[in-house]
Amino acid sequence: MTVIGYAFEEALASLRKSGRSALVSIGTIAIAFVTLGGFLLVSVNVQDLLDRWLEAAEISVYLTDTASEADRMSVEAFLKGRPEVVEVEYVSRERALERFRTDFPELADVTGSLSQNPFPSSLEVRLRGDDAGGASAETLAREVTGKTGVADVQFDRAWLSRLIGVVTSARAGAAVVAAILMLGAAFTVGAVVRLSLYARRDELEIMALVGAPFSYIRGPFVVEGLLLGGLGAAVALAVVGVLYYFAGPQFRFLGYGEMAVMLLGGILVGAGAGTLASRAAHR
Amino acid sequence: MIETVRVTKAYGREEYGVRDLTMKVEKGEFAFLTGPSGAGKSTLLRLLLLQERPTSGQIVIGDRDLSTLTPNEVQAYRRTVGFVFQDFKLIASKTIFENVAFVLRVLGQPVEQQRRRTYQVPKWVGLQHRHNAYPLELSGGAQQRVAIARALVNEPHIMLADEPTGNLDPDLSLEIMNLFRDINASGTTVLVATHDRELIKWVGRRVIQLDHGQLAGAPGTAS
Repeated sequence: MTVIGYAFEEALASLRKSGRSALVSIGTIAIAFVTLGGFLLVSVNVQDLLDRWLEAAEISVYLTDTASEADRMSVEAFLKGRPEVVEVEYVSRERALERFRTDFPELADVTGSLSQNPFPSSLEVRLRGDDAGGASAETLAREVTGKTGVADVQFDRAWLSRLIGVVTSARAGAAVVAAILMLGAAFTVGAVVRLSLYARRDELEIMALVGAPFSYIRGPFVVEGLLLGGLGAAVALAVVGVLYYFAGPQFRFLGYGEMAVMLLGGILVGAGAGTLASRAAHR
Repeated sequence: MIETVRVTKAYGREEYGVRDLTMKVEKGEFAFLTGPSGAGKSTLLRLLLLQERPTSGQIVIGDRDLSTLTPNEVQAYRRTVGFVFQDFKLIASKTIFENVAFVLRVLGQPVEQQRRRTYQVPKWVGLQHRHNAYPLELSGGAQQRVAIARALVNEPHIMLADEPTGNLDPDLSLEIMNLFRDINASGTTVLVATHDRELIKWVGRRVIQLDHGQLAGAPGTAS
């Protein structure tokens, strides 16, 4: 029998015997991982929202009334030559007024009373999603400001950058909370493994005396931790699935990658705690 | 061959398990280790099994100095040593078969070999009909025979026994000693710690006498 087969066989037998303490341990890990899973779920959905906003991110380049056709063409050519720019649309003064009337029909009286069109012509620039909130968009906005015929540049995406900053901080905070909970879960796994170790102390003494390899002495406890961690994470994944079911279909569930992170995380936390606890097995 | 060269095991400043002990047991020999309680018999056996390390001195088994062994080498060395204790050290929750098979299982032996050896060895000690019994269902003598079967199952070069008859009546003690004689006859070096002089006389092998952790006199042969 290989050491892996032996370790799994013994670990499963030990889990069956430890019953309630194993369930408590799985429950503790599940709580930690439900927090992590919930955080991941919120995170992927917030990220989706940000991505959508970023995709729609635009820079408006307002032209002076005196800008010539050549000035406009030159600015347009400059913008189109930039890799982060997806599309450049020219909005004439007439079209801008028309748009305003369509968007704000209740203000039709105001625009009707005007003797001349107050709206400037502009170039609306759509940026690639990944660059829109970043530094290159800001640089572009700054560079185009100095071009002949440009009156003003409106880059409203600064608030989006700030929002990304807030989301990033919130993520870091949630990661710290998840790490603390996982540490607690690891301690619980360690305690359960130490209980198993105590329950099998007679066997361990014999194993040490007959010269059993350390992999045989410690292996079952490492595997026990691994199984506790993996089962806890799997339970957590199921709970997050149920929560998602009740939250509604407008949200997205975790992708395979995130689910794998949770399961592997559980396995690693459990195996790590089991490995540390198993050091006492041959002392 | 088992050899100790000026071996001392100190517990604190003034207390010694063994002190400056030099002795030798030849390969294939059967020897007794005797002396009053506290003479250092058990300490010496623990040192030979590397359950403890000597404070000073050298223990040589075959041609290897035990003090140089790494933890993995200690385990490998222990695979060549069988041990029997006064309190049997059987696992109460396992049957006789499982207690014996356990050793081969944790040494990673193939299942077929585990089964073959585990059926074979209890026959030598007369327990072939009690495979499925649990240790506590057996008499003290039978439990000690299981412990001997377990010690034999991995074909050790050396057999160490610490007061193996300490919990047994004289008839059972003789029975156990006969087993040790058979084991020795098959080429295994046997070192038995006991303070039972009658038993030593009956078996009639070399005696290493300890007193306060030291050799009490030149080793002689019991009549």
